[in-house]
Parts: sequence; structure tokens; C-alpha cells
Amino acid sequence: MAAPNFAVITVDSQKCQTPFDCKRCLEGCPQSVFAVRAVKVERGRETDPKEPGTYMLVVPYRDKCTGCNLCLELCPVDALTITFPGIQGS
Amino acid sequence: MCWVCDAYGDPNYGDGKWYLNPKNHSRQMYTIKKPGQKPAEYGSDPEATAGRSVGEIMKTRYEDPEKFQQLVKEANAMKEKSPFQIGQVIPIQEAFEVVDMSYPVTSMSCICRLHSRAHEEKNEHEYSCTGLGVGMFKWERWPERYKGGVNFMAPDEAKEWLVKWNKKGMVHILMTFGGSYVGGICNCDYPDCGMIRHRVDYGITTGCLKSHWVAQMDYDLCNGCGICVQRCQFGAIKFEVTMEKTNIDQMKCFGCGLCETACPRKAISLIDRMSMPGLREVW
Repeated sequence: MAAPNFAVITVDSQKCQTPFDCKRCLEGCPQSVFAVRAVKVERGRETDPKEPGTYMLVVPYRDKCTGCNLCLELCPVDALTITFPGIQGS
Repeated sequence: MCWVCDAYGDPNYGDGKWYLNPKNHSRQMYTIKKPGQKPAEYGSDPEATAGRSVGEIMKTRYEDPEKFQQLVKEANAMKEKSPFQIGQVIPIQEAFEVVDMSYPVTSMSCICRLHSRAHEEKNEHEYSCTGLGVGMFKWERWPERYKGGVNFMAPDEAKEWLVKWNKKGMVHILMTFGGSYVGGICNCDYPDCGMIRHRVDYGITTGCLKSHWVAQMDYDLCNGCGICVQRCQFGAIKFEVTMEKTNIDQMKCFGCGLCETACPRKAISLIDRMSMPGLREVW
């Protein structure tokens, strides 16, 4: 069976620097496809969420993405793209 | 009885239910890795091990959906040998029995909501997860897991606190941390909670087994107000337009009892799953 036509969501980590502090896409996604992970952990403790680069936005549930593009509207730094490679005309 | 009870229950305690077996709350069950010693069979960090195992399976769904289905099927069939944490929904009455049995009882921040919605719970008024057992005395060892620490509670305080989250509409789910050691009661909803999501969306059963109860509607008492419909996190309750009453799909029902506690006319009751021949094997 061929791979299903799931959405491919990219996050530009150069633009998206403080996802834990911003959290607009995390809170706004109707399908809750996003998650936030700590990148910088020192001695078991995470650092300040407001400090750029300490957290990373990941997309563990992109198979649930409907392509509503709400996150693209919510993102203040235009860090997200959504494509459906298997669907023509998307 | 569910397969967890068959493996870890004791007929002398709590009708053989595994989470009412004092052994599964005992200090001896809680093992952490000591320097120079080998960790227990389920590893020194069972939660992380389970997370990685689920993660490995979840990854395959993008490349090879058939293989994913196969892996989920195999993992579900492994039962007590499963590398996953065991989780089981319990109604609030049984959660009360568990907090009476376990010591200490603490509240702490929810790790699922932290990851999925960047939802921070900063103090004891916001904490939504329950930690049980001696592991809680050592929360400083994992400062990131227990961000901001834990709040120790007396049993009565813990019950009030469980009622608070029950009123808000959270499902109580027992969690094990290594083998059958009962380490927590999560207060969960869909889709923020990883366990409910993996069960409802992907069919991974071990982390969120159904409870030993099932909700039953008394149609003579139901007036179709629909309050229970909003409470169900599992999509088991619908408003049946023809009958002008609420309909509970007992095949889908997880027996959490949230609809029962909310019904203003006491039309919903929890009945023993084992009393229903068609539901005995539905976990």
C-alpha cells in the first residue's frame, strides 16, 4: 500500500525561536497536531522559555492535519508551511 | 476481570482488582537504579522506556500504514509483557479507594498538556495530575518532569481535589510506572492526553484500558437535557433525536462515570462490566 496522503508540515526553526512562550499554533490547532520539546536542558533543568532556541516546535500528529491553515494565520513569524504532496492542486 | 487483574490482582483484596491490591502500591515495588547495580527488568526509567516504545511504533504510520497496524496489534496482544505503561480508566469512587490505599498522594503538573498545548501548571491550584507512592519523595531527581515540585496532600484533600477535576470534566486514568506499580492517577481529556489519543485515534489499548464499569441509561428518568453529551471524552454518548433522549453506546463507553456524576436526574448508573456478557471481553 502506498504511503497515505498526509500533510507535510515544516517548521522553520530560524523563524520560530520561542514556541513555548508564543504557543499560538499549539493552542489554536483544532486537531492538536503540534507539540513542544525542550532542546536546551542543563543539569536536568530546562532554561527560560523566553530565551530564543530553548524549545522546538514539532509536529507529531501531522496525519491528523486537515489543511485548514489556521496555524499559518496564527503564526506571527510565518515559520510554518503545509503541503499535501499526494493531493493534486493543493 | 481484565487481563491486568488476572496478572496482578489478588482475590483477597478489592474483589481481585489489580489497583486495589496493596502489593501494587507497596514500597518494595518501587525500584530505581542504584549506582553499580543493574536496573529492574523494565529499566531505570519506565516512563521514558514506554514513551520510546510508543514513539517507535507511531513513527511507522507515515511510511507504512499496514506495518503500523500490525505493530499495534502485536503490542496489544503482548499484554503484561507489553513495554508500555499500563493505564486504566477508573470512576471517581474507585479513585477515592486508591488514594486511601496509597501513600503519599501528591498533585503535580501534567506532562501531556505541557507538550501538546504548551499548557503550564505553575502551582498547586493549577496542578492537574496525581502522583502516588514513595517515588514522590524523590521528585527532585527529575526536576523537569516535576516542574515546580509536587504538592503533598492528605487523603481527604486529595478527594476534594479529584472532585474538582471531575466537575471540570476530566477522566481519571490510573498509570503504572514499571510493572504493576501504581504511580499515578491522571486527569485526562481528548486530544491533549497522550494515552486517550493513542487509544481513540490509533488503537493502542495498553495505556488506556476501559474500566470495570459501564454506564447505563434509565430511559424513564432521562429528559434529554444533553448535559452528559458534553462530558463524554470518548464519543460514546449521542443525542438520539427520534427518542428525544440521550443514547449511550456501551460498546464505546469507557466506564469513567463522568456522565453519571453530571446527570441532574440521576438517570445514569454505573454497572459492573462483568454482568454484561457482550462486554466482558471489551477492555
